[in-house]
Formats: sequence, structure tokens, C-alpha cells
Amino acid sequence: MINIIQTRLIQWKKHSLQLLFWLLFPIVVTWIVVTVGNTFQDDMKIPIGIVLQDDTILAKDLYESIHATPFIRTYTLDEREALHKLEKHELDSVFVIQEGYEEHIRQGSRNALITAYESDVSLAYTPVSEMIMSYVQQDAGRSKAAYAVKELAEQLHVHFDWNWDDLIVRSKEIEKKQDLLQTRLTFPGNGIVHRDEGKNLFQPWHIWALAAFLSTLLLFDWVIKENNPAILKRFVFTNVSPKSYFVRNMYVYIALFFTIDLLTAFAFKYIFDEPLSLTLIVSILGYHLMISLGAFLLALMIRKTFVYYAIAFILTFISVIVSGAIIPLDGLLGRYPWLHFLNPLAAFLDGDFFHIGLGVFIVILLLWYGRKEEYHAAS
Amino acid sequence: MLQVEALHKSYGNHVILEDITFTLEKGDIVGLVGENGAGKSTLLHILATLQKPSKGKLTLNGMTYHWKSLSHIRRQIGFVPQEIAIWDHLTVEENMVFFEKLSWKNKSKEELQNLCLDMKLNRWKEPVHTLSGGMKRKLNLAISLIHEPKLLLLDEPTVGIDLKSKQEIASYLKDLATKRGVAMIYISHDMNEIMNLCDQVFCIGDDSFYDRLLTQAGQEVIRL
Repeated sequence: MINIIQTRLIQWKKHSLQLLFWLLFPIVVTWIVVTVGNTFQDDMKIPIGIVLQDDTILAKDLYESIHATPFIRTYTLDEREALHKLEKHELDSVFVIQEGYEEHIRQGSRNALITAYESDVSLAYTPVSEMIMSYVQQDAGRSKAAYAVKELAEQLHVHFDWNWDDLIVRSKEIEKKQDLLQTRLTFPGNGIVHRDEGKNLFQPWHIWALAAFLSTLLLFDWVIKENNPAILKRFVFTNVSPKSYFVRNMYVYIALFFTIDLLTAFAFKYIFDEPLSLTLIVSILGYHLMISLGAFLLALMIRKTFVYYAIAFILTFISVIVSGAIIPLDGLLGRYPWLHFLNPLAAFLDGDFFHIGLGVFIVILLLWYGRKEEYHAAS
Repeated sequence: MLQVEALHKSYGNHVILEDITFTLEKGDIVGLVGENGAGKSTLLHILATLQKPSKGKLTLNGMTYHWKSLSHIRRQIGFVPQEIAIWDHLTVEENMVFFEKLSWKNKSKEELQNLCLDMKLNRWKEPVHTLSGGMKRKLNLAISLIHEPKLLLLDEPTVGIDLKSKQEIASYLKDLATKRGVAMIYISHDMNEIMNLCDQVFCIGDDSFYDRLLTQAGQEVIRL
């Protein structure tokens, strides 16, 4: 292994600046994004118009929930003005909380509660509308539960002073105490990324995970550059087979990533006051192991570096979207839970070591390594 | 040293090599000629353990070619590919050190540099991409010699380079055969080079053009 490290150092010496740049890229990008995000917090939020036609507690509560969502900047307007601003693309989308909202909820009717408007450049319309729908369903569910309690009391002949408002208020108190329905920024569970107390607009580990995803993919371009059939033929006459050369070098890269990751964890503790724990470190290592294996296997399949770079950027872009880094995906994740599995950051942000991708990549790697070498003669 | 007995190679119904039998002794330099597609490179690849024969027995220094003994066989073989198989972005020194680190034999930098100097490759600190074709070919050869092979298999090692570099390489190879007893099989389409360097020539393929040409020039030719 020492010899492999020595050969790797020879290769690294030739592009040490590039290597350093991409190794530090995640930490630097995180620092820049979080700092800039906090400085220009309001300007970076998605502008949403809210037309509040129902002057009831439930409607106001809904408005408050939308207003409290990070990444969203709400404007309370009348419908005409809101639509005018939407046409001028000053608003991403407009949501009208219809008159009779609370009444409909009380009656268990879910039709025509909200009217939504979007323009041809409404980038955040779908996730925001899904998120608002989830709030509405929460209200509707709470109302339904209140009626269920009433019916139950009647069936059991329990003296019950039925009051819808009291039950709703009580339900909200319980919810608040138990934190059962806390709105997630990204994922459920006791993960690494919590919705904090408004400290940062962007979660440092979330940004880091995305930047590390891109930098890891780009750093694994060595697999393509060194996957030269003529040179690999030479490895047959050395004490390292071509496959072994690649796998051992992958170990060197992973060890390097782990070292930088540990330094990053300490740096984030001091820069962003992010808690440092063993769970966090294990999650980071699990995450980086997974993306390293994925990058390695992807690079083995590709011959042209520019194709690989293009795929790396596309995959990062998809990860940015499905991870909810820019636009919250609460509603979409509720409707399409499988999106959670597509998200490579999911396990890491949930504070787990193992993502299904890690298992899949390990199996593929073992199958690839177990296959007979191309250069193999026998009598 | 090298015994090849009744070697066959075919891809489906297409026969490439048929009943090839020959032996090679220590210090022999044998030319391998034939028209394009005659199977020269295939034969060299089989001898280098890069391809499997369909039938036949190969023995190198008493060891039969078998997957169990591949590593031991390969230690004794030096293979100089037709392509220039070196890291273009590294210097001559870095290329030599790189492959020395992966080699079965440990060598000091001084020994590696001397190996290059012996074949008049004196641009030790220069990046490979700045070297001439002749220099690159010399480095291609030098890397294949780091582990001191007993059998050297050369697939058109001097193609496309100037006469001076060709002569320097030929001179070095002759020394290697004479002084260290390295046996060599040398593929080339340059008959002058073959006649200048090789003790005998193996001719394969159906075309007798090379047989006649070399025989007329007084070269000993063996048809395989």
C-alpha cells in the first residue's frame, strides 16, 4: 500500500493546486453560501403572494404557517394586486385563501379552499403548493379528529360539552408540546439538519453535503484519466493488477476525504457552532464513502472526461433539487415518499450511517472486482 | 529457456495461429515477421500471458504457463507494447519512479537513471510530452526493463522514429542479450532493422514475401 501511496503522490504533485481546490471546495462553498445567505436572507427567499379572504382564526393560522416557512417571503395583498405582480414576475406564485376556508374545514369539505396562480416562470410553484396543501390537510385532519372525538363521546354516552374551537386549540397545544407535527425543512427524524432557531438561512451540513457531492465526483476523474488501456497493459508486469491499482487508489482517496471531513467537522463547530458528535462523524464518513464508491464506479464506466464532468454536474443539480436545499419539499415528500430514497443526502441528513446506495455500490464493486481480469492467460 | 509446443489460437472458426512450435535460448534475439493480420501480435500477446492460447503448451525457464503460475511467469517477462504506454504529463524520472514503485524489483533513482542513460535517454527531468518520438520510445522500453526480465517481447518498438534512435535502441538491445543473456522476440516491418539486430527470424502467415526477401539477403529464416 505504501507503494501505491507513493505513486499517487507522484500523480498528485502534477495537479496539487487543483486537488487542494476541490478538497477545500465543500468547506469554502458552505462558508460562502451560509454567510451570503445570512447577509441577504430576505432577498434570497421565494416571493409568494397571499390573498387572505377569510378573516377567521384557522385562515390566519394557515397564513402564519406559510409565513413562518424558511425560504419563503410572503406578501399579503388583495387578489387584483397579487395577480398584477405575478404577471410582472415580481411574485413566484399567488395563493388565495378563499372566504369560508374555516367553514369548509369545519364541514370536512376540502374543495375550493385555496386558489393558486402561477406564471410561466414559477419555479417554486409545485413544492410551495404541495407544502400549503400539507398545511391544509393538517387543519382538515385536526377538524376531522375533533368530530371523531365528538362521535365517540356520543356513542359511549359520555357527557361531553362539545366545542369545536376548544378541541382544535387543545389539539394544537398537544401538538406544540409533543412537537409531533413539526414542519421539516428537509427530512424527518432526529437528523443532523434540524430546523434551527433561525440562526442560518441555509443549513451548513446540507450545503456541505451538496458541495462534497460535486467535489468528490470531480476528484474521481483520475479513474478515467488513468484508465488507459496501453498503460494498464504494463500493470500486468508489475506486482499490482490493474483492478487492484484502481481499488487501492480509491482507498487512498477515501482516506484523504475522511481526514478533510474530520477537519471540516471541527471547523463547522467553531465557524457555525454546529454540534460535534460521534453520530455526526459516522454519518459524514458513511456519506462520503457512499459518494466515493458511486463516483468510482461511474468513472469506471465512462471513457471521456467531459462526459463524466457533465454527468457530475447533472447529478449534483438533481441532488440539489431532491434534497430540498433550495425549495422545501415537505409536500412532495409526503405525496411521493420514494423521492426520499432518490436523495443521496437523505441518510446523512437523517444522521444515519447507511444509505441504500452504499449497499448497492458495495455489491457492484465486489462483483466488478470478483470478475476475472481481462489480461489472464492459462494453459 | 522458452519452449512453445503445438500452439493454436483461433476465434471461433477463424484460425489465427496453427501448430506453432519453437524454442528460444538465453541471449537469442529472434525477429518475428509476417504480413498484417498474420498473427504476430497475437503470438506475442500469448507469450506475454496477455491472451490465452486455444491449445498448446508454453514453458518459460521450466515453468508451464498456467493461471497458478502467472505471477511467477510475468516476473520474467518484459513487454514493450506497440503504443507508447507512459504517463505523458509526468517527467522521465517520475515515469521511471512510478513504475519502479509497482515493480517486483526495487531500484534506486541512480539505477533507474543509468538504465535510461544506457540507451541514450538523457532528458531525466523533462516532461514526457516535450520529448521526441525517439526519446519516448526509449522510455517505453526502459520502463519494461525495470524488473530485469529474462524474456523481452517487443511489438514494433521503434515504429515511426528516426534512424539514429533506432540504431541506439538496437545497440542497447544487443548489449542486453550479450551481457545479460536476455532473450528477445522482436516484431518489426523494417527488414533492415530485423537483419541488423536478429540472430534468426521466425516468419508466420501464408505470404512467403518476407521469407524470400530475407533469405535472398542471407538471413536465416524459420517458417512457423
